[in-house]
Amino acid sequence: MYSVSVKNLKRYFKVYKRKSGLLPALGSIFSRPVTEVKAVDDISFNIEQGELIGFIGPNGAGKTTTLKCLSGLLYPSSGRVEVLGFNPFERKSEFLKEISLVMGQKNQLWWDLPSIDTFRLNKEIYELPDTEFNSHLDQLAKLLEVEDLINTPVRQLSLGQRMKMELIAALIHKPKVLFLDEPTIGLDVVMQKKMREFIVQYNRIYNSTILLTSHYMVDVKQLCKRVIILNKGKIIYDGNLSDLVDRFAQTKLITVDLCKNISEKELNHLGQLRSYQFPKAVFNVKKEEAVTLVSKLLKKYEIEDLNIEDPEIEEIVRTIFSKGIHE
Amino acid sequence: MSKYWISLINSISEYFAYRLNFFLWRLRVVIGILITYFLWQAVFQNQNNVFGYSKTGMLTYILLITFLQGLVLSTQTHKIAFEINSGDLSNILIKPINFFGFNIARDLSDKIINTIFSFIELFFLYVVLKPPVIVQTNLFWLTLFIFTAFLAAFLYFEINILLSFIGFWSKETWAPRFIFSILVTFLAGTYFPLDIFPNPIYNILQYLPFTYIIFFPLKIYLGGAQNAFIIKGLIIILFWILILGYFLHYFWLKGLKIYTSEGR
Repeated sequence: MYSVSVKNLKRYFKVYKRKSGLLPALGSIFSRPVTEVKAVDDISFNIEQGELIGFIGPNGAGKTTTLKCLSGLLYPSSGRVEVLGFNPFERKSEFLKEISLVMGQKNQLWWDLPSIDTFRLNKEIYELPDTEFNSHLDQLAKLLEVEDLINTPVRQLSLGQRMKMELIAALIHKPKVLFLDEPTIGLDVVMQKKMREFIVQYNRIYNSTILLTSHYMVDVKQLCKRVIILNKGKIIYDGNLSDLVDRFAQTKLITVDLCKNISEKELNHLGQLRSYQFPKAVFNVKKEEAVTLVSKLLKKYEIEDLNIEDPEIEEIVRTIFSKGIHE
Repeated sequence: MSKYWISLINSISEYFAYRLNFFLWRLRVVIGILITYFLWQAVFQNQNNVFGYSKTGMLTYILLITFLQGLVLSTQTHKIAFEINSGDLSNILIKPINFFGFNIARDLSDKIINTIFSFIELFFLYVVLKPPVIVQTNLFWLTLFIFTAFLAAFLYFEINILLSFIGFWSKETWAPRFIFSILVTFLAGTYFPLDIFPNPIYNILQYLPFTYIIFFPLKIYLGGAQNAFIIKGLIIILFWILILGYFLHYFWLKGLKIYTSEGR
């Protein structure tokens, strides 16, 4: 049985349109034109227990909508969704006890109370025995390095500290399936890195299925083996991140450190020069031309260092978004 | 059960984060009561019976509103509309906790704190004003008073959640609530007992839920109510509780289907 299984899921929203200006605003009292937005438009995928999957896509691609459908918050317009064998929207407590959803932008913590009060409430909600609760809490607080902050009122915590507390509140019952929506949003670079390390550790220790969305490619690159790329409500890629590069990277990046200063014009003759600042020259050439270029370079010039790379994953994804998939 | 208990405890603790707010709110309640109190005292200056009420009966009625403000009218259900529109409702939906149970717990915290304070205030008002009051000692009337006050609290809770559920369909939830609060102020009997209205009006009011929020329990406290009045009243309030309970269930399920969990 799959941990998560989605078939032909659709979720449409009605959106009221309004033109700018006073007269149309008055007119909108009487009638408002409605349009339908296809937030998620016929997607299907399956996820095994223990997988860590990244959902990527531009704003409005349908990532968050998908997560909300999976966690039972949204009623699907059509299609079938199954998580741990349950229909999420029925919100059976056996199902709710096994999942958790963390949203980077909002919180569940009681704003005026210390985090521990929220944790205690969650302990009762998820019916955790004392020993289990205490050991989870210790473990999570240690992993996230916030042992001394759990008695501080939430409103006095920094954004990063609060995010960690949110994670503890969401994970205190060791959910089998975890939905993370933009878990690193608004955090500084150091904190983002720690958060990523934590997610990987958590996935490894508890073998939980984790679905995460992020705007930051770094998150996905470092966390997920498999990615699902969404655009305009449709899945445009579902597979390993490394395959994505193999399949869609049509160029190679060749970086050379030259020993002597050579004119830009001369280098440009050899292949498409992307940047040049002596001694470093970077070429961006088609895959099949890479070998010829390298041999030319080695024959012609004295070279200190040479490096052949695939283009950055961001660039590949950007190309996919702007041009669609061309194989 | 203990999850609702902790929800209650947390809600109470939250109260103490905004002590000044709470203090000012109680002050507002007391000032409101004092204005009505002095108004009626002036009316009774030269006569001892107005609209069939004795001075003692009327002043007792007015003072006891303080108590019912705490027990019946204290609520946090207006937050639900905001939670629907901001997406914070998701925090409840995602967890194995009953939405209505959680809200009852949250409301109880309000009611407990406000009721305790209303007792303290009543004590001071009594000491300072030394009003002639009816202290009900008949156990039957007292029990029936408490029982109908609890029914009133439940009815008020249902109406308020229904008003908040408008949030599922519209962002504009304050206007209906504003109208409702005006209706409660006039039609529930927070300024005067409803039976001083002319008969044709009072006859209509009898069938509306508002009557049962304040007037009905207080009338029972004063004692001597007719059996027919009590039985008819109980039937009507139970009818409203059941029918609104059905609406709550219906609109909750409807609302969840179109809930968009926005803002998240």
